[in-house]
Amino acid sequence: MAGSNEVNLSESKRVVPLNTWILISNFKLAYNLLRRPDGTFNRHLAEFLDRKVPANANPVEGVFSFDVIIDRSTSLLSRIYRPATGEEALPSIMELEKPVTGDIVPVILFFHGGSFAHSSANSAIYDTLCRRLVGICKAVVVSVNYRRAPENPYPCAYDDGWAALKWVNSRPWLKSEEDSKVHIYMVGDSSGGNIVHNVAVKAVESGIEVLGNILLNPMFGGQERTESEKRLDGKYFVTIQDRDWYWRAFLPEGEDRDHAACNPFGPNGKSLVGMKFPKSLVVVAGLDLVQDWQLAYVEGLKKAGQEVKHLYLDKATIGFYLLPNNDHFYTVMDEISNFVSSNC
Amino acid sequence: MGPYDSAISTGSTTSSPSSAAKPSEIDGLLAGAGYKVRSTVLHQVAQRLERLETLMVNAPSEISQLASDVLHCNPSDIASWVDSMLFEFNPPVSIPSDLSDFSDLTYIDSVVSPAINQTVCNNSWLTVVTAMKEDSGIRLVHMMMTCAESVQRGDLPLAGSLIEEMQTLLTRVNTGCGIGKVARYFIDALSRRVFTPQALCATGWSNENEILYHHFYEACPYLKFAHFTANQAILEAFDGHDCVHIVDFNLMHGLQWSALIQALALRPGGPPLLRLTVIGPPSPDGRDSLREIGLRLAELARSVNVRFAFRGVAASRLEDVKPWMLQVSPKEAVAINSIMQLHRLLGSGPTRVSAIETVLGWIRSLNPKIVTVVEQEANHNQSKFLDRFTEALYYYSTMFDSLEACSLQPEKAVAEIYIQREICNVLCCEGSARVERHEPLAKWRNRLGAAGFRPLNPNHLFIHCP
Repeated sequence: MAGSNEVNLSESKRVVPLNTWILISNFKLAYNLLRRPDGTFNRHLAEFLDRKVPANANPVEGVFSFDVIIDRSTSLLSRIYRPATGEEALPSIMELEKPVTGDIVPVILFFHGGSFAHSSANSAIYDTLCRRLVGICKAVVVSVNYRRAPENPYPCAYDDGWAALKWVNSRPWLKSEEDSKVHIYMVGDSSGGNIVHNVAVKAVESGIEVLGNILLNPMFGGQERTESEKRLDGKYFVTIQDRDWYWRAFLPEGEDRDHAACNPFGPNGKSLVGMKFPKSLVVVAGLDLVQDWQLAYVEGLKKAGQEVKHLYLDKATIGFYLLPNNDHFYTVMDEISNFVSSNC
Repeated sequence: MGPYDSAISTGSTTSSPSSAAKPSEIDGLLAGAGYKVRSTVLHQVAQRLERLETLMVNAPSEISQLASDVLHCNPSDIASWVDSMLFEFNPPVSIPSDLSDFSDLTYIDSVVSPAINQTVCNNSWLTVVTAMKEDSGIRLVHMMMTCAESVQRGDLPLAGSLIEEMQTLLTRVNTGCGIGKVARYFIDALSRRVFTPQALCATGWSNENEILYHHFYEACPYLKFAHFTANQAILEAFDGHDCVHIVDFNLMHGLQWSALIQALALRPGGPPLLRLTVIGPPSPDGRDSLREIGLRLAELARSVNVRFAFRGVAASRLEDVKPWMLQVSPKEAVAINSIMQLHRLLGSGPTRVSAIETVLGWIRSLNPKIVTVVEQEANHNQSKFLDRFTEALYYYSTMFDSLEACSLQPEKAVAEIYIQREICNVLCCEGSARVERHEPLAKWRNRLGAAGFRPLNPNHLFIHCP
């Protein structure tokens, strides 16, 4: 099969900048080493290979960060990113949680990607992305270090997301001055996007207001093999086989991909009709093999009468938002900025 | 719409880089993602990733083995990581029909086929193509050893060809740290030896040397530690004496003595009268740098109320110094201090009385209370080039490794030049030009013992670095 693989490799190289190609290919190959056929995961090696960065209470390019414990019982940590006002030389512990200033200050609850198994809040790629979001949205960003599969399958990631949402919602220092409420948006890529949806459902059911959901290349699926999956299998860094592996790792034993967590508008999905679901921005990469599921998600929201903006990026692959070296990156950052500020 | 040039670097990063490569050489966006890849090798890295993927696809059963068995070195350095992955896969050794695809893998493996080396005519190569048998770093080491061995045998054309091969290979390796950096310096030294042997080896002291020495002092802990320990020994030896005299073989910046003067000032019972006599080369530019430093030390001594006298003795060679030049008084407690100077005396010709014996002789005649000797713990004085080369490779690899811990610039970069000078002297110079004749601790112990010196206690008398 060497011949057809060579065709695939050069195809993906044509559509992304070289350094992006290297970054994502490096992930792809490293991740191949971590997934074992028996469904277990080489966590030790994964943590070793993952490039992590520490939090930094000293502002770097106008943003500083610090880590907080949200739930000791599950070791749930989050990294908080705030814009530096320029006054503090070295924030003391008190100043880290200084009340936000401004009539309306968006607080972004961020869920990193990694197909439920990879990455952490302190992974370099996500630390960089969160720092960008602070600047773009003039927001405080809270990046949740949720528990990962296969050690912690469904519903751990959702439970952690929910705990983080409650925590953020109850921080006095995150309340906007205008109405003394925390203005919450949820943003997530890949599995993080999936978590955003599921935490939003819980939020609506529990009465916590979320102002908007942003899903970047969200991870959804189903039992059926869609046209996009068959067409794009193995062509742009991702294969059906690895998608299947991650779903098996996350979903409960014995469940298939039509489980509501994987397929929210599938046969086992819950209806959102009549719910005050947050408005959504769903970004779909045209070269992502699960785009048919992402489009189905958008359709599902529309059919349930929910407000959704769908952004389809023709020649984008997974991870296009990780490096600021392509048009799609800037398009999406603009959209996110507008989405978060449009409530002002 | 289209991919932007990766030269734009906007990635903010809070990770602390450990590589010594200049920031401008590394792809800025990948750096923000936690990876170090030099911009100039992006294409090669991509090629190797593709190759690795092909191998992984074709051998899925080996993958989990790969994950658990292999040593993953420095995952930030994608180039090295993918090389080590490729090394782990042992693809079948066969010469492919399309050699152009493997043009970047040609090298000569002298271990596998020594006979071929002998029959190779002066300017042509038999290239043995093995697909991805070795990591680039390991390959470089093998090639360097082969080159050193050719130099020893006098086969300079072969050595020259190898040097050219290695210089090409260097462009595909990260020479900012690790084995790449060490290889860069050693290949440079080999190149100088083979191609420009007539170029002068810098042997004399000069103002430039002081600057290099100073940066080396700041970048590494070795000299500071050596000074500190020597000073402790000297302080102890001077205990109870009112008149003390230090003879120093190489003043450099005088930092050792400013520390000692301050320590003497705080001595219970008050400081002694301190005389410092320094032996140094005559100033090439007429500037008396010894005197300048002496004046500074005198000023310091005055400020802490230590009676102080300074003399500089100009001598090009230590063995030319006569004891009477030092004007040592019998009532004084004398300390002799030699920081990395004695090894320079080991290069005398067979017809003369050995310089080291001469010097140790007059030191002994001064009847000092203590002699503090600092030397590099290394074996760089063997007559066979290959032996010297091998020893130096290990020693300076360790030295460069430890220098990685330093983040001060320009101290670190200049310290590297200092080390490079040493390397070049060890490898490129011969006869009286080669002054960096480091010898191991055991030999110094014997030599000093034979000259009538008793080890005070191993930690005080013999301080070996690194």
